[in-house]
Amino acid sequence: MIAYHFGRGRARLAPYLFLIPGLLLYLIIALGPSLATAGFSFTNATGIRGAPINWVGFENYKEFLLLGQAAKDNFGALGRTLIFCFFVTTIQFSLGLFVAMLVNQGLKGTNFFRTLYFMPVILGAVIQGLIWSLFLYPLGGPMARLLEFFGTSSEFLGGAPAVAFTWVIVVQIWANMGTTMIIFLAGLQTIPTEMYEAAEIDGASKWQIFKNVTWPLLTPSVNTNLLLNIIGSLQAWQLFLVLIGYRNGTQVLGYMIYAQGFGQTSGSTSSSFRQGYAAAASIILFILVLIIGSITQTILNRRERRILG
Amino acid sequence: MFKKFCFYIVLFMLLSLVLGACSPKSPSAEEQPVKDEEVTLRVLVHQNPPMVEFMEAFNTKFEAANPGVTVDMSVVNANDLSTVTQTRLTANDVDVVDIFGFANAAQPYMKNVEPPNWQTLIEAGYLMDLSDQAFIKNYDDATLQDAGSYNGKVYSVNLGRVSYSGIYYNKDLFTANNVKVPTTWDELVAACETFTGIDVPCMTAGGKDGWPIFVGAYGLTGSIYPDQEALVEGLWTGTIKWNDAKSMEMWDRMKVYAQEMMEAGASGVGGDAAPGRFASGAVAMFPGGTWYASAIEASEPAFDWGYIPFPGSNDPEENKYLFGKYDQGWAIADKSPNKDAAIKYLEAFSEPANYQEFANAVGFIPTQATATLNTKIGQEVAPYLANFRVGYEQYWVPPKGVGQYANPWASYFQPFGTFDDAQELADKVQADLQSGLDALN
Repeated sequence: MIAYHFGRGRARLAPYLFLIPGLLLYLIIALGPSLATAGFSFTNATGIRGAPINWVGFENYKEFLLLGQAAKDNFGALGRTLIFCFFVTTIQFSLGLFVAMLVNQGLKGTNFFRTLYFMPVILGAVIQGLIWSLFLYPLGGPMARLLEFFGTSSEFLGGAPAVAFTWVIVVQIWANMGTTMIIFLAGLQTIPTEMYEAAEIDGASKWQIFKNVTWPLLTPSVNTNLLLNIIGSLQAWQLFLVLIGYRNGTQVLGYMIYAQGFGQTSGSTSSSFRQGYAAAASIILFILVLIIGSITQTILNRRERRILG
Repeated sequence: MFKKFCFYIVLFMLLSLVLGACSPKSPSAEEQPVKDEEVTLRVLVHQNPPMVEFMEAFNTKFEAANPGVTVDMSVVNANDLSTVTQTRLTANDVDVVDIFGFANAAQPYMKNVEPPNWQTLIEAGYLMDLSDQAFIKNYDDATLQDAGSYNGKVYSVNLGRVSYSGIYYNKDLFTANNVKVPTTWDELVAACETFTGIDVPCMTAGGKDGWPIFVGAYGLTGSIYPDQEALVEGLWTGTIKWNDAKSMEMWDRMKVYAQEMMEAGASGVGGDAAPGRFASGAVAMFPGGTWYASAIEASEPAFDWGYIPFPGSNDPEENKYLFGKYDQGWAIADKSPNKDAAIKYLEAFSEPANYQEFANAVGFIPTQATATLNTKIGQEVAPYLANFRVGYEQYWVPPKGVGQYANPWASYFQPFGTFDDAQELADKVQADLQSGLDALN
């Protein structure tokens, strides 16, 4: 029997009282703004305190999903968000696992390489953007020189939308692969060496060892990484802002929300702030993340139960 | 013992929460008494190096003339100015704000559009009514009316007009290669062919910031549609289409501008680096705004350059216009606790001698009648000032539902965008606009 440390009677309330400050903090900082965003999505709020706010019902949602070519462009952004998520998640996940296995070999200089691969994570989006803007500078930057050697050229981040979009995927992976690697590395280091020794004694090949020992025992790390990569890439917007700005054919939902909310869609200095409309777009993004995140988590949990019991 | 300890801890936390909620409101900045002898005046401006340099010198002078007043000036990127202005006005954290000329107002023929943010700020009571201030009389009536008034009241004094539809050209390169300064489109094309023939790129722009790639080409639109206010009305009412014969002339030329005149790699040049690249002599021309002039002079003082309206038409008469906008202005936060100091600040700034120094430093086309154009850019634009017109983007307000291509921008063409065929792009631009207009019904 587990002893209850807080005694009997009213004293049993103590744990709940201890929870109150944390709960209040959560309500104020996390849940409150989320609920307010849902509320604002039914208004024409501008974000300017004192400006009239009118209830517009589902108008913002109708405009986002149905009104004219803008709605089709929104679906284009939605599609790009999913494409971005797919490529970032699959490549970052695979590369992170591969690099984690490399730096887990106990070879000379391992610590140096771990630091090197993780370093981009500690840089902010602005610094990451600056580094890549210089690397991809079309008038004599390192990448331009390389292409010049092969007799070709590119505008890179300022070029065709598909090219610019591809480079943001590359930078996003570079910027976050370190986190994926560290989580996998932590997972790899929890696998007992006896398991590998037993497999080797049984004559298992390297591939068989990976498939039957490493991969199943990495399940918790796989789940964590997949969820973090999916949610992170669905919500990405900062690198789009610092690398390419608001350009047709490159926007993802996260960046569209920012641009709509803060009047940065038209390039005009007096664009309207449409925070009600941006809130509706946020809720749509939230629903997308919720659906994809829930399905992924359900599948991963089932897999974890099947493998680890 | 443990029970008592827990009890006191919980009691303490609950009391802290309750007392925190019930404690008397700490005096906000608004309620704090203003000490005559010590005021910190919070000023917000956007990044424009010569203007910031002038303001720093002016602030020092102002502080010396007004003991006890300290000016705390913040500088933000122009793209972020409206966001920071809104945030700081709402938080009552600023006294004097730099605000662009009032533009993009909804017109009677427009439906289903959002008001511009300056209008929302005024309606929410964030900008002070300056109508009764003596210093506004230093500015010309047309400026006060066009760039700083709303519902008959003055909320901002605008400090200058800028043109963005001109081209800077390298005089030495033109002379050395016997190239005549172009006054028509065909002459511009021929000049570019001469320069590219000797491996000198014809034009550059600060394309990394996006809009500088197409801003010069506003002159192309202007030479086809000199009355830009009428152009906007025509687009709204359907009398002008982006894919009609007249507009096609514009798109065909924009394609040449984007693909043959602009240097490869211009999309990577930063807005602040482009003037230096032009001044280095690496390119022959630089389409852009008059605000770049001081940066060109600063990076290469001996460099000899000129500035002409973009010759978008083959009729020189249609190329005589300079299109532009009202740039920076001053407004005072209506909730400011330092209104007296803020008014003094604008009074001092608006004194003709100070304003003249500002106009000289920044290169704006002055909005005070007594000020003169003493700068080199001033002399360059002087012959065209009678033909200065407010440009399309200052009038244009899109209806809700328009597609993302509903603008006359040269950057939609490859290599900066997706399109290679002018007709295909024109049809797409018109379809995206039409989609918003149809959604009104």
